[in-house]
Amino acid sequence: MASAQIIVTNRLGLHARAAAKLVRIAARYESVIKLHGKNNSVFADAKSILSVLTLAASCGSELTVECHGPDEIEALEQIVYLFESKFGEE
Amino acid sequence: MKRIGAVLISHGSLANELLEATRTVYGDIAHITAVSLGWHDDVSDAEARIERAIREVSDGAGVLLLTDMFGGTPTNIAAMFLKDGETEVLTGMNLPMVVKVASQNREVDLGTFAEEVEQQGKKSIYRAGDLLVPKAGK
Repeated sequence: MASAQIIVTNRLGLHARAAAKLVRIAARYESVIKLHGKNNSVFADAKSILSVLTLAASCGSELTVECHGPDEIEALEQIVYLFESKFGEE
Repeated sequence: MKRIGAVLISHGSLANELLEATRTVYGDIAHITAVSLGWHDDVSDAEARIERAIREVSDGAGVLLLTDMFGGTPTNIAAMFLKDGETEVLTGMNLPMVVKVASQNREVDLGTFAEEVEQQGKKSIYRAGDLLVPKAGK
């Protein structure tokens, strides 16, 4: 398993179009990719936009990304990069 | 992969706007279309438009007809097209239901998918305060 902590830094948070970008990237990988909030209460499937939206992750939220599978390292790198680049929005 | 098609049907431009919102969020949604009925449209005209729309989005895997409200004219006209295994009608459509249809990622039979979309629509209604403001003791 590969995992990383990330902070949502784009102003609008993990909104619908940003979630769609995340899902598009996650879908390229075979690995199972999950996201959860700081208190672990909600797990989201990074390949489902409606699941990602239930995280209700606003700007400043801390999330953990977990990737399980043959391409987990690359998947994690790409997802961390997407958050760091603020989804290309700012 | 064969996708189940969908026709969004409403009075006024609600159906078109839901389609546009989904396109903005999700991108490729060639398997979904919208029929917005005028308040004074002739029923047989409306029927013909829905029939054309069904043909347009049908890929052989079935078509969901999503309507604005149970009991309304769009639903009543859509119900004329109900056919087991070929078309299903879901009422009270909302944006999460349309996004669910847009984001199909596997082949599934129409009845199963109709039930998934129905459940998605129901469970996507939240009192946002319950989610966003942690309650004491939780």
